[in-house]
Amino acid sequence: MNATRTMLICDDEEELANELGEYFASLGWRVALSVTAEDAIGLLHQGLAPQVLITDLRIGAVDGRQVVAEARALPEAIRPILIVIITGHVMHNVAAADYDSDLLYVKPIDPSDMLGDIDSFLAGRAKAAD
Amino acid sequence: MISSRNKRSLGLLKLGLVVASVALFLATALVYVSQTRQQAFLTATIRSSGWVAYQAQLEFVRAQAEFAKLAIVPSALGIDKLMLRLEILRSRLPLLYDSDEGRVLSDVVDTRGPTQIFEARLDQIIDDVARLDPEDGDTAAQLRELSTELEPLGEALQTILMESVAYNQEIFRRERALAQRPGATPLLLLFISGACLAAVLILQSRRDRIRMGEIVEAQATLAAVEENLRAVIQAVPACVVVIDPDTDHVSFFNPSAADLVSPSLDDPAWPRFVNAVRVAAGEPDTSRWGALTMGYARSPGDIVSLRGSVGSVLWERRQQQLIVLVDTSRVRNAELQVMQAAKLATLGEMATAIAHELNQPLAVIKMAVANARRLLDPLPGGEPVAAKLERISAQVDRAKRITDQVRRYGRMPTEQLLPFSLRHAVELAAGFVAEQFRAANIRLSIETSAPAELLVFGEQTMFEQVIVNLLINARDAYETQDEDRPEAAHHEGGAGDRQSGAGEREVQVAIRLENARAVVLVQDNAGGVPPEMLERLFEPFATTKPTEKGTGLGLSLARSVIRDMNGTIVAENSGGGARFVINLPTSHALAAQDAA
Repeated sequence: MNATRTMLICDDEEELANELGEYFASLGWRVALSVTAEDAIGLLHQGLAPQVLITDLRIGAVDGRQVVAEARALPEAIRPILIVIITGHVMHNVAAADYDSDLLYVKPIDPSDMLGDIDSFLAGRAKAAD
Repeated sequence: MISSRNKRSLGLLKLGLVVASVALFLATALVYVSQTRQQAFLTATIRSSGWVAYQAQLEFVRAQAEFAKLAIVPSALGIDKLMLRLEILRSRLPLLYDSDEGRVLSDVVDTRGPTQIFEARLDQIIDDVARLDPEDGDTAAQLRELSTELEPLGEALQTILMESVAYNQEIFRRERALAQRPGATPLLLLFISGACLAAVLILQSRRDRIRMGEIVEAQATLAAVEENLRAVIQAVPACVVVIDPDTDHVSFFNPSAADLVSPSLDDPAWPRFVNAVRVAAGEPDTSRWGALTMGYARSPGDIVSLRGSVGSVLWERRQQQLIVLVDTSRVRNAELQVMQAAKLATLGEMATAIAHELNQPLAVIKMAVANARRLLDPLPGGEPVAAKLERISAQVDRAKRITDQVRRYGRMPTEQLLPFSLRHAVELAAGFVAEQFRAANIRLSIETSAPAELLVFGEQTMFEQVIVNLLINARDAYETQDEDRPEAAHHEGGAGDRQSGAGEREVQVAIRLENARAVVLVQDNAGGVPPEMLERLFEPFATTKPTEKGTGLGLSLARSVIRDMNGTIVAENSGGGARFVINLPTSHALAAQDAA
């Protein structure tokens, strides 16, 4: 697990994407950013193969759910291990599973919480793979 | 029902019977008198007729005696005497058939036949006697011969006398019998007369009975009509009240009016109601429907709008005033509620959208703070800045809580009555205003003696809005107090400043369970509601607040929400402030009902 960890962040709120990217980059992650769903889908299909995909739900014309669907449909070699949804919308009793994601956060997000969750998720996956 | 023709014929029959019975009575009396008279006359005649027969027979005997006397010693004087006797006898004979007595006698026995043949003979004998010479020796023999010639007359007279006597005896016998036995005919007539009178009485009583039946039937019909009318009046949703215009005393009210004013006539609410109608009526012509519109305060804070008319009515045989009113509050309120609901829906959507939009910059701030702290970490002397960053992060968290509540509040209400935890709803509402209360330096306390699982029925969001509204009103009341009475605070002064000690601002929310009903009290100490406002507090747009302060949720809507939950809300001044009391049915009452 010494290999560099990779991440694709997709959010039409550019400043948020930047701050979030900066946060993870400072921790040694290789971070790719996209501010539209189309860009994100394109990057995924080009074989970016990030370990973690973080996407907003409402991103311009294309829904974040479509990004998730495309990612899930990728060949296993380039498919993200972990998919995270971040949203600013009103939601009651919604769970990550409702959107076919592994984790779900309502904005504003505490980045340290998120980092902890991602780390333990990936660690769990790595242990399962061994 | 008896037809008029039958009635007329009955009347005629009755009149006829009365006339007949009077006529019969008179006839009976006349018959009785005339019979008595005739009988008396007849009796006298018959008696004297016997006497006539007797006289004739007596004269005959006397004449024969004179013949016998003269035959022994004939003399002129004796002949004269004999002639006188014979002439008297001759005069008696016609009386036997040609007099009142004689005619009566001839009905019994033939008097004319036997006597008339002797009349000529007697005249001959009288002439023969006149020619006799007393000195002649043959005279005695001639007298005896003449006497013998008269013998048949004696027999005839004897027969008449005997018959007459026999008849008289029969008459006497009958008279005696009649005297002993009352007359049958008068009795019969009297009986008939009495029967007629009895019939008249029976007919009269029958007619009376029929008339009585008609009256009873008519009364029953009338009572049924009245009963129906009364049932209608009792059932109509409009308030129907009858008042005596002289005394303003209420003579009648229907259940709707009882619901509106009071079920008891002695309640002082009634004079107040009548007075309110009087004031509202003003002009004389309010009999047209809708001419009267008025507001009536059932209790402080519970104002209803009424519409109707005041007219006159003949009630309990007196001219009285009829007041008919319909509660139009609900109609009016419904119109306002539609507006309010539309406004609320827009507000809800806006609030949701705003909350969402706010979350975006908050998210950026949060991330930026995290990055800033990370960048600050390796630098020396950065601790004070790190503390500030910590505070910024905390404030972002706080802002997030607010947007969460706003988003929850902005959710669209539904129409269903669903059970929800009263305590939870109140706590949520309190949480919503907690920030504002803190900013206004108002202490908010929730004291509950009811269990958390105590459920009430309604739309939770709407109920939360009601509580929020009451709490916001309390907060605004303190602000109004500040603006209105800075010098008053100074006056009261002496006691010191209002921000501390006895003048501490405090709003208490209490939840209790009383008689299986939930009671929510919201009490402030902001000086209370002006008394003139207290009555109109739940009226739409009855606010003392400037428009920009309106939440869009008036107390009017609050009352509607509570009403929809089958509860009540009232306002009063108490403990140096305003107190709102909400009373709601609970699941406890439902459980008790089910058990019963």
